[in-house]
Amino acid sequence: MTSDTKMKLSRRTLLASTAASALLPVVGVPRVAFAADDVVRIGFLAPLTGPVAAWGKPGLDGCQIWADWTNAAGGVKIGDKSYKVELVSYDDEDDAGKARVGATKLIREHGVKFIMMLGGNSWPGVEEIAARQGMLFSTLLPSDLSPSTKTLIAPCEVHPIYNVTGVEWLAANRPELKTAVICAQDDALGKPSVATYLAAFEAAGIQMAGPPLFFDPDTKDFAPVMTQLLAKNPDILCLDTCYADYVQPLCEQAFQQGYKGQIISCTLDFYQRIIERTSKEFMEGVIFQFPDFDDPALNDERINFRDPNKFFAEYVKRFGANEWSAVSWEYASILDLWSDAAQRAGSAEPASVLPAMQEGGKGKHAFGEARWWGKDLFGIDNALVGDWPVVVIRDGKARIAEFRSIPAWWDKHGDLLIKHMTDLGQMWNQRT
Amino acid sequence: MPEFLLQTIFNASYAASYMALIAVGLVLIFGVMGVINFAHGDLYMVGSYAVVFLYAGFGLPFLVAVAAGLIFVGLLGILMEIALFRPLRTNPLGGLIASIGFLLMLQSLVVLGFGLRNQHIPPVSQGGITIGGAFLTYERLGVIVAAVVLLGSLWLFLKRSKFGWALRACAQDREAAALQGISINQTARYAMFIGAGLAGVAGAMTAPLVSPTPFMGHTVIVTAFIIIIVGGIGSLEGAVVAAILYAFVHTFVTTFYDGVVANIVGLLLMLAVLVVKPQGLFGVRERA
Repeated sequence: MTSDTKMKLSRRTLLASTAASALLPVVGVPRVAFAADDVVRIGFLAPLTGPVAAWGKPGLDGCQIWADWTNAAGGVKIGDKSYKVELVSYDDEDDAGKARVGATKLIREHGVKFIMMLGGNSWPGVEEIAARQGMLFSTLLPSDLSPSTKTLIAPCEVHPIYNVTGVEWLAANRPELKTAVICAQDDALGKPSVATYLAAFEAAGIQMAGPPLFFDPDTKDFAPVMTQLLAKNPDILCLDTCYADYVQPLCEQAFQQGYKGQIISCTLDFYQRIIERTSKEFMEGVIFQFPDFDDPALNDERINFRDPNKFFAEYVKRFGANEWSAVSWEYASILDLWSDAAQRAGSAEPASVLPAMQEGGKGKHAFGEARWWGKDLFGIDNALVGDWPVVVIRDGKARIAEFRSIPAWWDKHGDLLIKHMTDLGQMWNQRT
Repeated sequence: MPEFLLQTIFNASYAASYMALIAVGLVLIFGVMGVINFAHGDLYMVGSYAVVFLYAGFGLPFLVAVAAGLIFVGLLGILMEIALFRPLRTNPLGGLIASIGFLLMLQSLVVLGFGLRNQHIPPVSQGGITIGGAFLTYERLGVIVAAVVLLGSLWLFLKRSKFGWALRACAQDREAAALQGISINQTARYAMFIGAGLAGVAGAMTAPLVSPTPFMGHTVIVTAFIIIIVGGIGSLEGAVVAAILYAFVHTFVTTFYDGVVANIVGLLLMLAVLVVKPQGLFGVRERA
């Protein structure tokens, strides 16, 4: 900084600034005033710490943007009144016991009207509370759905079913690839995802070069895992739904151990860091399922997410580009659906919001019109399913290659998915 | 197949190296001071955060950050000896409990300073050597070289220097060593500096390979205890041999079979050693 541009803080400047700051609440920036009781609280119950935090914390950050924008625009109009939206978060650390405590606190102490969860490992702790209280819960993992909990919905992410779109696109665009290997952490996120990839590979005529490799979630050194995978000499290396903290070292190991083939993964969070630790050339063409929201393809008129590019810019401004993850937009898109349903229902009560949300069996998913579906797979039509983007790394940047229809794949290959889900004990009626 | 085997040997050698550094430090502290230092895994964690802070944060050269990590964690060890272990020397469980309290403090301080998320560290080097089709990165090779150099230097220090003799004397019999004019407090400080420093350097060297978190010490301390039990509690040579044995068994089972089974095999290895040779591979049977 040159001396010309240095800011000098004089006594007069300091006094003027202090006076301006003091007057700002009176005459300053326009804002909306809400009465103390005109507040509707939404619970956020997801891992904010630990290895799964990348699928919790960035989502909470995205929700904060949504809440700030909504409140600045006058709040959510329910009945005759406008309500300020207040987020109340609880870190469940991806643990069922902590999720149970969190759900109880959110309902009893904070009076929330809706609770958003990541789901998976944490859901079993909450299932009984949801059924007993009739509270409306959302999960990003429809594999949590079952007919015993009618108030659990998967309105955004149809994990892991959308993974079929990536494999389908890969098979259509690189038909020369014939063999694949897959690895995942041995848990409630990894297994249904492996079943889905196995079904998708089978549907696409891609052979598995070896059985799925399930590794201990406590694994710290991924070199042996990758050595075992690459020993099969696969055309395709599938990283399933490995957590962000695993995808990076797995890619790094694949790079270091000389892998030259195709990589496909459910997520590729913080992919800039992976490129930094491998190379742009190595990561070129990697397929995954979660776009950056500055993608021009999201400006298409069928997209229901409000101002995706502006949302991304605001997110980057507040938290940094490297903090954007698969879930940064997802919980916010669920809030879109919830507020739309609450406004139509004229009530924030879960018993009114859910029927409004599912009216006509259709809904406005972030990526376009979708249908409430899932009875064959989850025993209940509580997953909102439509198109999903296939994302490819091009010149170091994630870009949407195409939107593909999940229901269209399901109509053709649903029996394969049920077969593999059953083999791995992941059907709703097999889970304990 | 040969390159697959060689790659697995490289992987196991890396794992054996950092495990040996940690386990030898733990053994040294136990041998000289009779303290089971539960905070040892978190000294390893602090070593990695030294690299997060100095190399990733301030852009200092990696080796400078590693050296700083060694010294800082070593000094932390001296602080532990003076503030925690010395006042509780007569209490058999005092050191153990104090170290648990200290590890919780370390974790909380790191959480306050750096947050809970995994830390990203830019690569130190992307190069490496290829032997027989198997690849070993310079980052991993660096850990192996550091372990060989540091453990070799420690061996020379213990065998050839006056302070090394004092440490060994204290490890054999503290009271007899004191009667020979050896300062127990001074040797305890040396032992803590070296033991903690070894954990710190292991953490610092492996930091770019593991994405540090405030809780990364948990699994490390469990593995370190398995190693020192297998090697023989109090035996430095035993810790090195057991680290190599454990790392090779664990890595080979993970690569050829399954990572979860590898953990079970590691525990079975400890059980088998305890049944056949309760004092550990290099431990000395205590006289009745």
